[in-house]
Amino acid sequence: MGSCPLASSHPAIVLIDGNNFYASCEAVMDPAVLGRPLVVLSNNDGCIVSRSAEARALGIRMGQPYFQVRRDLERQGVVVRSSNYTLYADMSQRLMATLEPWVEALEIYSIDEAFGRLGRPAGNGDLSGWGQQLRHHVLCQLGLPVAVGIGPSKVLAKLANRVAKTTPARNGVFDIGSIPDPDPYLEAIAVEEVWGIGRQLSRWCRLRGISHARALRDMPTGELRRRCGVVGVRLQQELRGHACLPLELVPAAKRETCVSRSFSQPITTQAELKEAIATYLSRAAEKLRRQRQRAGAITVFVRSSPFNGTSFYSNSATVSLPLASNDTAVLLAAALPLVPQLFRPHKPLQKAGVLLQALQSTTTLQHHLLLPLPEEQQHRREALMAAIDALNRRYGSGTVQWAAAGLHTPWRMRRSRLSRSTTTQLDAIPVVQA
Amino acid sequence: MAPRPLPNSLAPSTLEPTATSLEEQLIRCRASTFLLRVSGESMQGAGIRHGDLLIVDRGLEPRVGQIVVAYLDGGFTLKRLARHRGRLRLEAAHPAYPPLELSRSDEHRLWGVALHVIRALAARPLHR
Repeated sequence: MGSCPLASSHPAIVLIDGNNFYASCEAVMDPAVLGRPLVVLSNNDGCIVSRSAEARALGIRMGQPYFQVRRDLERQGVVVRSSNYTLYADMSQRLMATLEPWVEALEIYSIDEAFGRLGRPAGNGDLSGWGQQLRHHVLCQLGLPVAVGIGPSKVLAKLANRVAKTTPARNGVFDIGSIPDPDPYLEAIAVEEVWGIGRQLSRWCRLRGISHARALRDMPTGELRRRCGVVGVRLQQELRGHACLPLELVPAAKRETCVSRSFSQPITTQAELKEAIATYLSRAAEKLRRQRQRAGAITVFVRSSPFNGTSFYSNSATVSLPLASNDTAVLLAAALPLVPQLFRPHKPLQKAGVLLQALQSTTTLQHHLLLPLPEEQQHRREALMAAIDALNRRYGSGTVQWAAAGLHTPWRMRRSRLSRSTTTQLDAIPVVQA
Repeated sequence: MAPRPLPNSLAPSTLEPTATSLEEQLIRCRASTFLLRVSGESMQGAGIRHGDLLIVDRGLEPRVGQIVVAYLDGGFTLKRLARHRGRLRLEAAHPAYPPLELSRSDEHRLWGVALHVIRALAARPLHR
């Protein structure tokens, strides 16, 4: 089939993502750790999920369990941090706000990744210079290093981003849409690494001897369509430089809200499980109120550890609310009676959570005939919830909590090395020496 | 008798909020603005005191004469950026503190520009 030239008349798609995002965030407000090897641990201080460039250079690998490497990290002087999602979410919002004016449209894809659309200058003009400026701008504004991949489609932008990251000479930016012969780059990307390919399709490709992105791009379309339908064809079109996957600009209104955690130690009593569920439900209710939504149904789920020898147990129960609500007390009253159904005395639980479903906007209930409380009382409840949320935002979550959530809580997530909320909490902001 | 319509100037829709947003006044760019707490008195000549809240913009290019935050020796330092005999240096606003010379390789240590200082006057200060 020969090489298919990349289309040039389309607007360019750019993928911008943070390098070692969590580790980079930790250094933004803490000059003491800048330039030092640093790793961030997953929930419950389980394993390494982000490494600074210096930590990478020491050969520390992604996903290593913390308890295995703890000694080595200490010996090597590596800074260890628990995941500080408050900090990362705040830096993420700052990052997206900084990117927005640089593109015609921005799709926030994940906490540290966004697709953007922009016009390519006439004559297939190179956008690498623009990418370098953007990269410099983000670094100056926020202190966050990013990689910029540019191409005619999302799949190629993602691929270019990978080249930008892995080729030091590119200095964090690569525009695959502007080079005359992209084939060597496509050949360097294994078929499994093509964005959105999935395990089944990549395994099928391997069996047919298609091992890299260029081969996938050039294989007969009919065969791909017969085997994988429109998904495979779309992927191939994207690799050929025809944008088929549009930017998703408006995040769909959230239809579910979930809060779940793994426990630092297994839960073995019903009382503890009740406290955990009450805690998660309080958090979920707070989320709901922030999203200006009410829930019509609550699902509580629990599971044991799949690794601890005793037979695996997982279960869930759902309750529908007669009237959608975001009042923590109402949700607790409905959900806590489910706990005895789910608890089993000889099944230590490792994880539990709540899922709020059938969400609706708060504006739709206002003129409901079946208001659960007289209107004045309803307003007072809402004012109470607002006051609690404000206190928890201002003084840290858990400042005001329902007694059902418990006071002594050994099951709570382990985050022994959590940094402070230096960008969001007034009493945790860093000190500048004058 | 039907109630008389309100005169136009009093109709609710024409009421404009009178409060000025402090955030609009003090923050140039939300994304690149960070708050820091001042410790020490070396900038008291510039009106910055121990315990003050500082609004710092990382997105501005530091210029000579501006009060800047730099990171030195593993911590943040607040000083005025000055040029002395062709070289950049950080100067305190207090006679007891000597200036800190900056070499060319130190320039990346300039972290942000301090734009505003907030000080509580009442009994309950902002820092706890």
